[in-house]
Order: sequence, then structure tokens, then C-alpha cells
Amino acid sequence: MNDYPQVLFAGRRPGTTNFLAGYEAGGGYRGLRKALTMSPAGIRELVKAAGLRGRGGAGFPTGVKWSFFPEAPGEKYLLANGDEMEPGTYKDRQLLLADPHQLVEGMAIAAFAMQIPHGYVFLRYAYEECARNVERAIAEAEEKGYLGRNILGSGFSFELHVHRSAGRYILGEETALINGLEGRRPNPRSKPPFPAQAGLFGKPTNVNNIETYCNVPHILVNGADWYQGLSRTPEGAGTMLVGLSGHLHRTEVFELPMGIPLREVIEQVGGGVRGGRRFKACLPGGASTPFLTASQLDTPLDHVHLEQAGSRLGTAGVTVFDDTTCMVAATLNLARFFARESCGWCTPCRDGLQVVVWLLEEIEAGRGHAELLAMLRDQVRNIRGRSFCALAEGAMGPVGALLDRFGDELEDHIARGRCPLKR
Amino acid sequence: MSDLLPQDQRAAFRAKAAAIDHPHELIVDALRAVQSHHGWVPDAGVALVAELLGVLAVEVEEVATFYDKIFRRPVGKKVIHVCDSICCWAGGGEAIAAHLQQTLGIGFGETTSDGMFTLLPTCCLGACGDAPAMMVGLTTHGRLTPESIDRILAQYRAEAAG
Amino acid sequence: MPTLTIDNREITVPEGTNVLEAARALDIVIPHFCYHEALGAVGACRLCAMRITDGKVSGIQMACMVRAKDGMIVSTLDPDAVELRRHVIEWLMTNHPHDCPVCDEGGECQLQEMTIAGGHGNRRYTGKKRTYANQDLGPYIAHEMNRCIACYRCVRTYRDYCGGTDFGVFGSRDRVYFGRVRDGQLESPFAGNLVDVCPTGVFTDKTFRFKSRAWDLQEAPSICPHCSLGCAVVPGARFRELQRIRAGISPEVNGFFICDRGRFAKGSTNDPARPRQPRIDGTPAAMDTAIETLRTRLAAVVARYGPQSVALLGSPHASLEAAVLLRDWAQSLGTTRLVYTAHAEQDRAARITGARLERHARSLNDIRGSDLVVMVGADPLAEGPLLALAARQAVRGGGQVAVIAPQPVELPCRASQLILPTEQLDAALHCLAGGAATTLDATARQQLEALREQLAGAQRPVLVGSSARLGGRGVNTLFDTAEALTTPERTIGVMMLLQGPNSYGGAMLAGRGPNFDMLLDGIEDGRIRALVCLESDPIGESRDPARTQELLGRLDLLAALDARPTATVARAAIFLPTRTGIEADGSYVSNEGRLQAFARVMEPGVPLRDTSPAGHPPREFFTETPGSEPWPAWRVFARLLGRSEDLAVLRREIADLDPRFAPLAGIRPEAPGSRLTTTPGLPHYQLDREARE
Ligand SMILES: Cc1cc2nc3c(=O)[nH]c(=O)nc-3n(C[C@H](O)[C@H](O)[C@H](O)COP(=O)(O)O)c2cc1C
Ligand code: SF4
Ligand code: FES
Repeated sequence: MNDYPQVLFAGRRPGTTNFLAGYEAGGGYRGLRKALTMSPAGIRELVKAAGLRGRGGAGFPTGVKWSFFPEAPGEKYLLANGDEMEPGTYKDRQLLLADPHQLVEGMAIAAFAMQIPHGYVFLRYAYEECARNVERAIAEAEEKGYLGRNILGSGFSFELHVHRSAGRYILGEETALINGLEGRRPNPRSKPPFPAQAGLFGKPTNVNNIETYCNVPHILVNGADWYQGLSRTPEGAGTMLVGLSGHLHRTEVFELPMGIPLREVIEQVGGGVRGGRRFKACLPGGASTPFLTASQLDTPLDHVHLEQAGSRLGTAGVTVFDDTTCMVAATLNLARFFARESCGWCTPCRDGLQVVVWLLEEIEAGRGHAELLAMLRDQVRNIRGRSFCALAEGAMGPVGALLDRFGDELEDHIARGRCPLKR
Repeated sequence: MSDLLPQDQRAAFRAKAAAIDHPHELIVDALRAVQSHHGWVPDAGVALVAELLGVLAVEVEEVATFYDKIFRRPVGKKVIHVCDSICCWAGGGEAIAAHLQQTLGIGFGETTSDGMFTLLPTCCLGACGDAPAMMVGLTTHGRLTPESIDRILAQYRAEAAG
Repeated sequence: MPTLTIDNREITVPEGTNVLEAARALDIVIPHFCYHEALGAVGACRLCAMRITDGKVSGIQMACMVRAKDGMIVSTLDPDAVELRRHVIEWLMTNHPHDCPVCDEGGECQLQEMTIAGGHGNRRYTGKKRTYANQDLGPYIAHEMNRCIACYRCVRTYRDYCGGTDFGVFGSRDRVYFGRVRDGQLESPFAGNLVDVCPTGVFTDKTFRFKSRAWDLQEAPSICPHCSLGCAVVPGARFRELQRIRAGISPEVNGFFICDRGRFAKGSTNDPARPRQPRIDGTPAAMDTAIETLRTRLAAVVARYGPQSVALLGSPHASLEAAVLLRDWAQSLGTTRLVYTAHAEQDRAARITGARLERHARSLNDIRGSDLVVMVGADPLAEGPLLALAARQAVRGGGQVAVIAPQPVELPCRASQLILPTEQLDAALHCLAGGAATTLDATARQQLEALREQLAGAQRPVLVGSSARLGGRGVNTLFDTAEALTTPERTIGVMMLLQGPNSYGGAMLAGRGPNFDMLLDGIEDGRIRALVCLESDPIGESRDPARTQELLGRLDLLAALDARPTATVARAAIFLPTRTGIEADGSYVSNEGRLQAFARVMEPGVPLRDTSPAGHPPREFFTETPGSEPWPAWRVFARLLGRSEDLAVLRREIADLDPRFAPLAGIRPEAPGSRLTTTPGLPHYQLDREARE
């Protein structure tokens, strides 16, 4: 079934992890060797030209981010964001279970491109196996001279460490992650200053998602045009890891071309909705992205088209709901997640999300009425864009879509005084 | 106090903290070390981490109480974290949680009377493709069914006994 | 200096001002919780929403987080902003208990004000509220966490601003908890500021608990009497009792905060042992009678032994007005035996400070902005706690603090410590000035030379000393050092910790007069036969209490004016009760030479709880308020001098007669006060000698 071009997953053999020998046999570290022959600015230009966009959720163009970074030597930090706690997102785990060296190589190239001497791989609590894989990969890479002092005789040095977190989704927000690494309370920081100006320990810091880094070696080896050409749409570039979940036949992570239509992902790659049921809705890019409905299945999965469709590519974790799903209950589950994971810093998120949860609980339980529905709309209008960081913003993704696209289902709950989908 | 953290690890943390500019960065590591050795982090553990790293106890407590995977209360030998996020929910997670409560005879936040398991809800474990999922200790178990749960629990019990 | 438009009004503000502050300059109040002038902006509460309709940033923004830029157009009345503010209040109120009727914050609660200002009058949320257990934080501060709205001001005040180490924020989401790791008394000497900064009733003054409603209090701007720094305070009284003290705001002096001594030590105002009744030879008398008796008995002493047989002793605690009239009275009596401090060495030190401070004078605000503070022999947490807090702000702003003292000095900030015995402090100062300092050991010399280099490079350096530790000689050397290191580009600042709130004023008045040890000599050899003590207790405060005690016994007449039950009061033949600073208007000159007024908060009287302990209503009926006899000390002297007993008139007269006190004419307690220009004088030990001759 899967004849899509495989780049990040090219060396992946389910059930085994490639360490140095396997990774090198598959062409590993050619990208780094190539990079060391180039100028740092040349690498940044190349990544920019390739059109790589961040895979951590916000989709910021990676090359552009790197080009803002101060090149002057000094204490600077390179961080890989492996918090991966947004429900529906489990791709970085697969990368580290398959090919931890791919991350190490990507980070080494990025470090060289920005002349950064220190790096951390930040990993969530649940990814202990990944942490061990990365630690082993780091040790092997150091041994082979891919990391550490004077990498491959280039004169460039980069040392890499693993940091294990202890839970909480907010650590994925890059400035909260930086506080977490510093051993402070992981509330987000205000921007400006941006991490590139003052990040970890007050020094310039670059944060990218794990998958983002993993793309870099391949861009170095194969070039920007090749990378652009992997996408089905001109708006996209490269492949992406799409994690399927929910009511589908196949719920795994697949590497798919950017721009692949949602319908193809769901019907062909995912094998269609499980149990012969009908598709009702999906989260196209993780728990913070607005629901899409059956009428939107032809949307190509890339940043631009999903935004046009009123949603976001996010982390490309596609969670599908069949027609037995109560969308109010599903949204309630999501709202509970965000309310529980709020860091507690700002009012709209800390207290506002709790009100959203309560409203959805009331409506779902059949205790809703018109004022509560109005109040729910108020919440979305006043939380969206008003919180300190993007967590609460993300929480409003599905809630807003519930109001916009499943208003009748909400009204039905209120009119019947119970959930219409529960028998 | 001595069972909070072995002497060699204490010395290692002391040495590391003394060697770096920002000893706070070791707080999470040290809390995790105490927890993996002692099972959970008692008040004395917070004080110990503060002392080893040369930071304030309040700074350690501020961090410790933020993370949901640092236990500031006693827990059983194994902590079961059952995912209650959207994919697991869609995959029948509520029934799985109910089954766990029933077989263990405890509610969320409680520990079995034999001190073996503590049951806690958790947000997404990054096992969304294998929903419904739970994590026991640091090991993730997916595609749970009542039968597989019973098997897994029995296995942990057997390991603990033997 | 950007010019922006807020609600159709233009304003130009300094670079770096945020929009909230700019609006305030126009008297437009944008509601806020987490922003605090002393703590800065953190953007947590999201209440200060307004719309920016032009310029680079646009849309609904938090006023505290946006820097004012040229050409910005700001609307605080924009409907979306108003709606958001209403929702923020509604969110904050979802968990807030409706316990205003039993909450001490009621009436001065920012949450109440914002709830009303935000138009949130009806709770739509009917779900559960989260609740917390409270902690026992000791005898001074009550903890009521359910009222918390998580503005984070407390932890930013306690930890960041004040440098406390035993208070923090725990947990997360809608369960953040502000408190200690475990129950126990808060350790910071600035803990009481939690009461002021908390916008709701989480932290309230336990000593004031359930005593009064804020709106029932009599309050007035005042000056803390506990040290020489002159921090602004606002005492509150009710039922003839001083019930609480909160911090006043004085940008140049204490800023927004005070120390716990200033807040919780209420002095003698409510003291049940306080002497309130005039006495003549142990027998109660009326005030008028006592004053007349003092006049006639002194006249008799003067008639018999001459005017110089009368000595007058003022105090660092008495108001400037009383101190000036004491001098005028001495002149009218014809005696030059006038001293303002019972401790001769502190007196010397204070007079030298008064004579030499001049261009070296620095305020606490200057210290906060200093890049190098060198403390020689000073122990700020004991002698002037707000100075320690100011030093911390200097460090937070990138400055450094160096301590030279006989034992390590505890400070709420990083500081280098050079330990030298008291006898070597003088040599250390010489060494800083570039002297040879052969008495110091090599390592100390090395460190001092390094410090000298640092001083030479510093832009806003301040030398801090203490009259208690350095004495006259040390203070003199400190000024020599400051002068030696001063360059045309920048002056070395000096801040000298003195004994009391008006030590400086007393020193200005003492001029060439003798010191108290010389008065004791005079009593010993019989030249002095009468001593009048103004709010001074020489038995307790002089250098040699035993000798003083013995010599006071030889006097023909000992008279005391005081509000405290001191040993001297107990021995005095004539006693005149005076009012405390809570019960009288007056002014002090702080250690930086700043003249500041305090206003009467209440009339004197035995607190109602003492006259009718069983509570309301009183069981006995009096035509006079019990315990209302005390007079302001200045009024006693005005009476003796036959001058006006109207303070405003007196102040004008003082200002006219002594140009150094010119600002007294228009002084207002709510204003920041002004630094007096000192008349440069001879070092005072020469003055002593002159007076001897
Ligand atoms: C609440 C929140 C959670 C986030 N979680 C993650 C995460 O788990 N992993 C991640 O890479 N980025 C996460 N992000 C995005 C990061 O802040 C950041 O944008 C990203 O790591 C940058 O990398 P990229 O440009 O390679 O995507 C999160 C952002 C927010 C606001
Ligand atoms: S939106 Fe506010 S409370 Fe929520 S996680 Fe971000 S900073 Fe914390
Ligand atoms: S939703 Fe349960 S593991 Fe992701």
C-alpha cells in the first residue's frame, strides 16, 4: 500500500532501532560531511530554499528562523523539542525508536549552520526508551567524531545532552521548555526577547522540533529542489510524518508527501473508518486544530490549504471520529486536556478554560440552555488571541470549530436535554 | 534519610552542581533520581535535592509540584497512568479506566491495599496509534483490552513477588 | 520621547514607558492586577486590555506589555477591550469566595473595585469552586488562599523584590498555591509587604484582624519613627487605638515598601503603661499647672545659679518643630547647654554628617540605582532595613554591594564581605582613599585596593556608613574618603545611618553646642543644676547609663517630656506627657537631610478596649476623653515661650528665622518632602573644643 517516497522513515524497520552501523549503512552522516564543507550561511540559505517548515505545530519556515540567529561565536544553545504531548501526536517517538542518529546528525548540521556549541534534546517523561536511544546515539557519534570537539577535523565543536522532563504539555512551548531546562517553573516567557536573542540561560537559543531537525540531513544530501519536489502541492515542501489515530483501520505514523489530500490519507492510508461506520469529523493536525468535516476531505494537507479550510496542519496528527461520536463530548475531552495542562500563569487559560469545561459538561449532560451556549461563544471570543501563550489559543481550535461546524449538535443537546447520540 | 538516594549519586549531584554555573538545571534530574530510588519524593527528598544542589528548598518545591510525574505523596510500587486524552477516549479509554478501577478495587489517586499499584489519569502518552493506552512505571502498554490488562497486571504482580 | 494618543488625548512619555503607565499619566486608569509599579509588567492577569489602532502593534493588546511608541493610537474604551476586561473579572471571580462580609480586605480590595469597574455583577458560572487549605504563616500575616486570583504579585514581591527565600508558588493550572513549603512564620523582614501588594484578602495583617473596616479607619500620611531613613507610612487608627500601619508611597525614599518593624512595631501609642498624666513630684496635675510649675522652678534655678545652670536635652525621636522650639527656649532662658542626643559619640557622628553631607547626599532611590554600594560598618537590616532592600535593587539592576564590617553582615542580596575589626574600619577607609594603611594586613589591603579600583570606575557609587559603628572619627574619615575619590565627573555619594528619625534635624540645631558627656561633667561639678529632657531617656540612651543614673540624682530639678514610660520619666520631678507622631503633626529630617512632614492620625486617648474591656458600650461616662492629656511637645515649648500654638504659624516663623528650614513654611505631609541644604561647617570636634573653652 505504501509506495510513497520514504525519506525520514527510509531506514525504519518496525521493532528495531538503527544505531550507528545501520544508520551509516543507509547513508547516514553524509549530510553532516557535506555541511562541513559549506559555509554556515550557505546551509541556512539551502534550508530556506528547501522550504522546510517547522514540524512542532506552528509551521514557521526553518531556514528563516535560522537566518535570524546571531552567527557570532559565543555561548549559544540548540534545543530539540521532544515534548510531544499534544494528543494525537506521536511521530517524534517513532523517529527516535527508528533512527536516533538522524536527529543527532540533523542537530549537528543545524549547530554548524548557526555556530552553536551546546545542544540539548528535550524529551518527555513517557519517552524513556527514546531517551536511551538518543543517549546511545550521542555516545556513538562522539566516538566516531560526529559530535564533540573538532567534528570530523573541521575545527567545529558541538556537544549534545539529553534532558528528561517530568510531565506537562506546556513544556512543549519553547520558552516554557527553556525555563524547564533551567530548572525554573516552566511558565512561558514573554516575547520579545525571542529565544534567538535571549533564551536558555539568557543566551541565544534555537528551538526546533525533532522531526524538523531530521529533515535537515536529507536536504543537505539531496538539495532544495528535490525537497520541494517531494510535495504534492507547490505550497508545501518535503514529506511529513502523519500520525493516524481515532476510528480508523490503520492507526500508525506514516511518512506521506506534503499536500496529500485528506481523503487519501483517511481512505487509502488509514484504510477508512473502522467498523464500516461513516466519517464524521477529524482533527487534522493534533488536538489544537479545528475539526474538519466530511465536506472538507479534499483539502490537501499542507500549511496553506489547511489554513484556507479554517484549520491548521499543526503536528499532522490526524484523529478521526466516526458518526457515533458526540462532538460535544469529544470537545469536552479536548477542553479538559487543555484546562488540566494549563500552566496557571494567565487568567483566560487558567480560569477561562475551566469555565469552558464546565459549560461543555453542562451542555453534554443535558443541562444546557441558550445562555450557556451564548456564554460558550463569549469564552471563545475572549480567550482566542488573548492568552499569554498559544496553549489557550490552541484549546479554542476545536471549541471554535464545534460552535461553527456542529452548532446543530449543540442545539440538539439543549433542545432534548440530553446527548442525542447516547441511547 | 539514607534511602532517599545512594551516597554515590549524592556525591555525583554535588560534584555536578558545583561544576556548573546554573545548578538549578539539575533540579528535575535530582527529583527524578530520588523518585526512582525511593518511589516518590517526600519532604525530606525536596530538602535533600536543595542541599545537594545548593538551591532553595522552595525553588525545588516550586518545580516539583508543577510536574505531574513527580510524586509528592506516597505511591505504590508501580504507578499506572491511564491515558484519558482524545485518541484513547475515542478508542474506548473510559471503559478501560473503569475496568482498571474495578479490578484493582481503587479509584483514581488511590493505591491498592497491597501497596502494589497506584492508579492515576494522565494526558496523552504519545501512544495514540495504540489507543487505548496506559503507562506502568516507564513502560507503555497499548491497544488495551480488559483481558490484556488482567494479563499485564498479573505479570507485574508476579515480577514483584518473584 | 514618544508621543501617543490615548482615548483621543495626546501624551509624551519617556522612552521605555509602557502604555498602562502612559495612560496613567493622563489619569486614565486601565484596570490591572499583575502590573505593579515596583514589580514591573508580566502580562499574566490579562486585565489591562486595550486596543491599539495604529502603529506597528495593533489589535487588542495588554497595556502593560506594550511599550509606548510614537504615533500609537490607543483606545481603552474599545468594546472588545471592555468585553475582555469584563470576562477576565468574571473568570477571576469563578473561584473567588463571596466572603467579603468577613474579609479584612473589604473596602480596599482591588478585586472589589475591578469587579465593579469591569461591570461584572452577576455570576453566570454555577459550577464548583476550588478550595485550598491555608497555612499558619506566623503571628503577623494571615493566609486565606481561597481568595487568591493568581496575580503572582506576592511571590514577585517576596522573592524577587525583597529577596525572601521561604515563600513561593506551587502547583499549576487553576490550582496554583502561594505559600511556604510548610507552615511556619515568614522569615523575611519585609514579609508584611505581602499585605499591601496582595490585591485581594489572601494576605492580611493578622495583628489587625477583624478590628476595623478600612473605611472606618482614621488614616493620615506619616513617617516611620523607627529609624533614620524616613519611610512613608500610613497608620490607621480607630477607637483611640493605633490599629495598623501600611506602607506609604514615596518614590525617592522607600518606594512602595516598608520593613516589618515599621509595619508591626506600633511604638508607645497604645502602650497601656504609657504615662498620660502630667505629674509634679509624683502627684497628678493639670497640664497648664505642670507647665507653669516647670517655668517657675526653672526660674528659681536660674535666679540662684545663673542661666547656664540649666541644661536641655533633645532627642533623635522628637519632631523638628519641638527641637527648634527647644533651641529657642534655651536662647530665651540664656543657656547654651543644649544637646540633641544623649549618646555623645552618635551625636558627634550626626553633626559631622549634617555638616559634610552636602553634595554627597543620596536618597534610597539613588541607592536602588547605584552601580556600587560600599557599606562600611553598617548593618542595614538592624539600623535601617529599607537600605538593605534598596541595596538589593541595586544588585538586581546589575550593581554590586561590598561590605566592610567586623562580622558578616546579613543582606537580602549578593555582597562581597571583608571582615575587619571595628578599630580597623578607619584604616580601611583611609586605604580606600589611597592611603598607605600600614596597620592592615596584606590580604585586606589587596581587597581594599581592588575595591578602590572599582570605586574609581563606578558611575553612581555610594559609601554607606553608620553613626553607631563608626563614631565621629570614622564618619569624618568616611567623608574624607568620599571627597578624595570624587572626581569632576562624578561625586561619591554617601548615606549615613543615624540613630533616629530626626537625628539629622537635631544635628543641624546642635551646631557648636556641647555634647551630653560634657553636660554630665557639668552636673558632676555642680555647674548644672537642672535638666529638661525632651522625649529623651538619658538613663537608657547615654554612653554610660550607670554614671548618668547616679548624676541625675544630684540635680536640683529633673523634668521630662515624653510619651514613653522610661527610667528618666520615672525619676523626673516634673513630667509632661507628650503625643506620639500618630497624635500630632510634625516633621523629621531624615538621614539624607530630607525634611518630611507627618500628619496627625488621631487624638490621644486610652484605647477604648482598655477603658471598657468588656466591649461596647463604655460603662463609665467622662466629659473628657480618658488619657487625652498629652500635648504635642512643640506646643509645650510654644506655651513656655508665649508663642503661637498654631503649628502652621510656628512653621512659618521657624522658616523665616532660620532659612535652612525654609521649606517648613509650605510643607505638606502627602508631598515627598525636600532635601535641606546644609550649611557647611567646621568638623564638630572642633566645635566641641570651642564650646569647652
Ligand atoms: C502549548 C504548546 C505546546 C507545544 N508543544 C510542542 C511540542 O510538543 N513539540 C514541538 O516541537 N513543538 C511544540 N510547540 C511549538 C514550540 O513552541 C515551537 O514552536 C517549536 O518547537 C518550534 O520548532 P519548529 O519550528 O521546528 O516547529 C508547542 C507550542 C505550544 C504553544
Ligand atoms: S495560555 Fe497562559 S496559563 Fe495557559 S499555558 Fe499559556 S501562559 Fe500558561
Ligand atoms: S491520546 Fe492517549 S496516547 Fe495519545
